[in-house]
Amino acid sequence: MNITINNQGFNILQLVNDLKPVKPLNAKPTLLVLLAIAAFALIAISFVRAPRVDLLAGQPTAMFLMRAGMLALLGTATAFSVLSMTQPSVGKHSNSWQIALAFAAIFPVGGMIAVMTGDNTLSVASTASVYRCLSYGSITALATLIPMIYALRRGAPTNPNLAGWLTGLAAGGMGGFTYSFYCPFDSLAYTGVWFTLVVGMASIAGRLFVPRLIRW
Amino acid sequence: MKASEDSLRSLMIRSQSGDKQAYTVLLNEAGNWLRRFFSYKIPADAIDDLVQDTLISVHRKLASYDSTRAFLPWLAAIARYRWVDRLRQTYKHEAKALDFDIAQESHEELVGARISIGRLLNQLPAGQADVIRIVKIEGHSVSEACAMTGQTESLVKVNIHRGLKKLSALIESE
Repeated sequence: MNITINNQGFNILQLVNDLKPVKPLNAKPTLLVLLAIAAFALIAISFVRAPRVDLLAGQPTAMFLMRAGMLALLGTATAFSVLSMTQPSVGKHSNSWQIALAFAAIFPVGGMIAVMTGDNTLSVASTASVYRCLSYGSITALATLIPMIYALRRGAPTNPNLAGWLTGLAAGGMGGFTYSFYCPFDSLAYTGVWFTLVVGMASIAGRLFVPRLIRW
Repeated sequence: MKASEDSLRSLMIRSQSGDKQAYTVLLNEAGNWLRRFFSYKIPADAIDDLVQDTLISVHRKLASYDSTRAFLPWLAAIARYRWVDRLRQTYKHEAKALDFDIAQESHEELVGARISIGRLLNQLPAGQADVIRIVKIEGHSVSEACAMTGQTESLVKVNIHRGLKKLSALIESE
């Protein structure tokens, strides 16, 4: 049997001797960790902020349902795509993030239209509420980045730049989702600007920092 | 005799469970397959190193193979990543080298720059592709490139720098 790979003395027996049984990667544990982080963030924020009045009354507004649903969809669908990138193969990569992102784009587009047509929520919203939206959303996003980066490092992502974008996008979606339970504003302008900023900042951070952490 | 997809997949599954005999056969067959794979893409003198790098990556990323999927596309994805990573490192190194001396190149860098570059250059603006081809591939100096293209010396340098940066991005996104 031919066991020498090249004329520089590389010998596959070195790799064979180092072989240990491995368990194929599984996305489910990471998805569960992400859900646990989102749940923990929801509870943690409740210690410093009261949930929305409509939620306490058991009558969530249509805007809340749409916003939270869209951000949850964006976060989970994109996280699923990220985790599928840990296992390179043909025909496996999930493009669910593209559909989720296309649906979520309704908020920034609708927000811009709302601002241009006279929605004055942005001027009514206090700096403190904007700061809370950005900080709570970003902190939760940061927490969800960690398990995704860990999963990518264990796997073999073949497009680190795209993986970076998507990791940030998923984290931003989850961060925005958790804060949406506490954000008192229902206007399209507020959601379109500030929630988009949370998702956008997380995506850019993901693109800037994740690729260098996951190269192999 | 070439191993079939089914037999390679079966060997991989056994390797994941720690079967060293299956792993030995798998790595040998994978090595043969990789040599054929790279022979269409890179110069012959660079194949052995890339095959070796890819087999080490296969070893390190054994857990990333999904046993419900075909083996060869997985191996091809690993091989392609290693190839692209090598190109990326070459271009990164070259872009940095431009800051010091744009006309001095080592043989190794030039070989790296030649790898599969033709198709990628077609995706760059003509001004950038021309100077990269003249200076980086054909080995002319910057001043010669100025005379051949009518660009100023600083524009040639800027175009090379931007072109190499774009090439890196193109390689990564493919």
